Amino acid sequence: MTATTTKTVRRPNARRLSRAARTERNWALIMVAPTILGLLILNVWPFLQTIYASFCNHLGFGYYEFTGLDNYINMFKSADFWKATWNTVYFCILTVPIGVFLALLVAILLNSKVKFKSGFRTVFFLPMVCAPAAVTMVWRWIFNSEYGILNQILGTHINWITNPNVAMISCAIVAIWSAIGYDAVLLLSGLQNISKSYYEAASLDGASKVTQFFHITLPMVSPTLFVVLIMRLMASLKVYDLIYMMVEDTNPALTSVQSLIYLFYRESFVAGNRGYGSAIAVWTVLLIGIVTVVQFIGQKKWVNYDV
Amino acid sequence: MKKLSRLLAVVLAITLLLSMSGCGASDGKTHLTFQIWDVAQRDGMQAICDAYTEQHPDVVIEVQVTSWSEYWTKLEAAAESNTMPDIFWMHTDQILYYSDFGMLADVTDLYDDVDPNFYPEHYSEISLSNASGSNGRLYGVPKDKDNIVLVYNKEMFDAAGVSYPDETWTWDDLTSASQQIYDKTGKYGYMAYCDEQLGYWNFVYQAGGYILNEDGTASGYALPASADAIKFYVGLQQYDWCPTQTYFAETSPGTAFFSEIGAMFFEGNWNLLAELNNYPDMVGKWDIAVLPKCPNPASGDGRATISNGLCYATAARGKNLEVVKDVLRFFGSEEGQRIQGLSGAAIPAYLGLEETWSTVFETFDYMLDVQVCYDQFDYCVQYVNNASRPKWKSTVSDELLKIYSGEVDIEEGLAYMQQVADTASAPK
Repeated sequence: MTATTTKTVRRPNARRLSRAARTERNWALIMVAPTILGLLILNVWPFLQTIYASFCNHLGFGYYEFTGLDNYINMFKSADFWKATWNTVYFCILTVPIGVFLALLVAILLNSKVKFKSGFRTVFFLPMVCAPAAVTMVWRWIFNSEYGILNQILGTHINWITNPNVAMISCAIVAIWSAIGYDAVLLLSGLQNISKSYYEAASLDGASKVTQFFHITLPMVSPTLFVVLIMRLMASLKVYDLIYMMVEDTNPALTSVQSLIYLFYRESFVAGNRGYGSAIAVWTVLLIGIVTVVQFIGQKKWVNYDV
Repeated sequence: MKKLSRLLAVVLAITLLLSMSGCGASDGKTHLTFQIWDVAQRDGMQAICDAYTEQHPDVVIEVQVTSWSEYWTKLEAAAESNTMPDIFWMHTDQILYYSDFGMLADVTDLYDDVDPNFYPEHYSEISLSNASGSNGRLYGVPKDKDNIVLVYNKEMFDAAGVSYPDETWTWDDLTSASQQIYDKTGKYGYMAYCDEQLGYWNFVYQAGGYILNEDGTASGYALPASADAIKFYVGLQQYDWCPTQTYFAETSPGTAFFSEIGAMFFEGNWNLLAELNNYPDMVGKWDIAVLPKCPNPASGDGRATISNGLCYATAARGKNLEVVKDVLRFFGSEEGQRIQGLSGAAIPAYLGLEETWSTVFETFDYMLDVQVCYDQFDYCVQYVNNASRPKWKSTVSDELLKIYSGEVDIEEGLAYMQQVADTASAPK
């Protein structure tokens, strides 16, 4: 009954806004217009074009010829494509759980009573400020099998970036190292929102630090943790620049680390097969979509939104 | 508050207008852009432009350098939106793609009023072929020509007591010298890395094989002569004196050579000047020689070196086409080519001017034996290309990498490379 009354009261308001409200609405539209336009022109339109291009053969210089499902058929038959898909998934498996776990660890340490806290925060955030290309160049020197510092310290002779079995792990190390600071800062803000009174009450009741972590910290930080997980997973599924910089096309490990977006780049821009490249891009979008949907379903089981 | 925001808007509008007017030419001159990819040749290109603008004060040419890796992505995007630079370098890899799509201006008739036989009189068949489209018309004015030479470290040869490479050298001398240098000095010998133009292509043609047949319609990867040469070349990495491909993926042979880690590698002569400049401490310690020949070629005399050449091109629908054509006419003239040679940028494609390129090498304390570059033009082989090469190039090189890493057996790999190149190259 109350619902219908509010409706009848609201309707005229919704139709005929007061002058002030209308001006406000117009201003709101004007204010978001640049973003919306940018999104439409720079994201949505190219995305639609990519979908169209994936059904075409690129003849050259933006001329396309419609070929139906050919690109998809060739793609699903291609061993390199499946290898790239697996490489991408493997990269996620290597980077996401370890990366997010380490970021959480760092965030908890930074949230505790340590000396030079702000100094540590700066140091951990530093990789985020550096250009990825510069970061990768430095890591390449660290990993250099002959003259790199890593093999010197370990006294080993591991081909960090040229051994097909090891190269992906090396890439994952750099990815984790680069992302830890950013994720940790996000998690830290989540941790700082937890009221101290929970911990005080828990310690009065005699709960140990470990119990406190699993029963207070983890549930309370889970919304932030979920955001970090989603973002990290998407970024990992789209990995390109890092691998491109680490592994050049003369590297025998290339096919073992080539991610989907790397393959897309080589097909579209090196070989000029933009139609086929677009099919790979569409596949990647689908993959990211599926993974994200699964995560959103899964979050109901472990993310806690009650404060 | 309102006044402030209005003032701000006015200031913004003015700066915007000012920055826009900066783009347009307001001095009544024709402004041209000239896009190149090699920073080492910027001064040489600038010198040619200066010589032209001195005679034509109403033209201004701006030389722009874009790195090789970005050059083609940018140029293709510019071609699609019809905003190509007025003049740009064109590479053999790409000229067929651009010209077949009508992106490049036909410059076959450029010199007709001067001399209808200008091109064949002053440029070699290979130079002209490198600048031609599939229809045989010229879509660029030949710029330079190059070939591949053997670079060697004199000190390591002295230390090992091996005589320097010369024109009598065969593949066997290359391997035995490498072995001796490795045994005596512990340094790497000949560094054979996975590369086509600077690597196995030379060996294939020396052995009497080919990568593509005469008319570019079929490949020859699996021909016995080609296959033997590629097997020999890939097999060099089995020796202790040659680093493996995993090494080269991290350290380029040039870096290894100029760090005095290896004694020999193949280099394109377009890099020599930059290497003299970049490694001043090494000047005098190294020299160049002709490529070793194949001791038992299936046909021919066992000699070959891959020769490529760039050309100057312009867009078919350029706004300043008439002015640009006049500039190109100058770039291809004896004077324009002479300036290029004297600047040391590259060996001029213009016949008879090759040795102007030596001038700049004379300024160093030790003069490289650049004469070998000129001598090698007698038996050079045109850079391998056909219209579909962009489509098969990366598949073939990926397969070769798999051969190097042992993932694929060499016979199988060559058969696959042959099949990929054949399918793409077959006339449609």
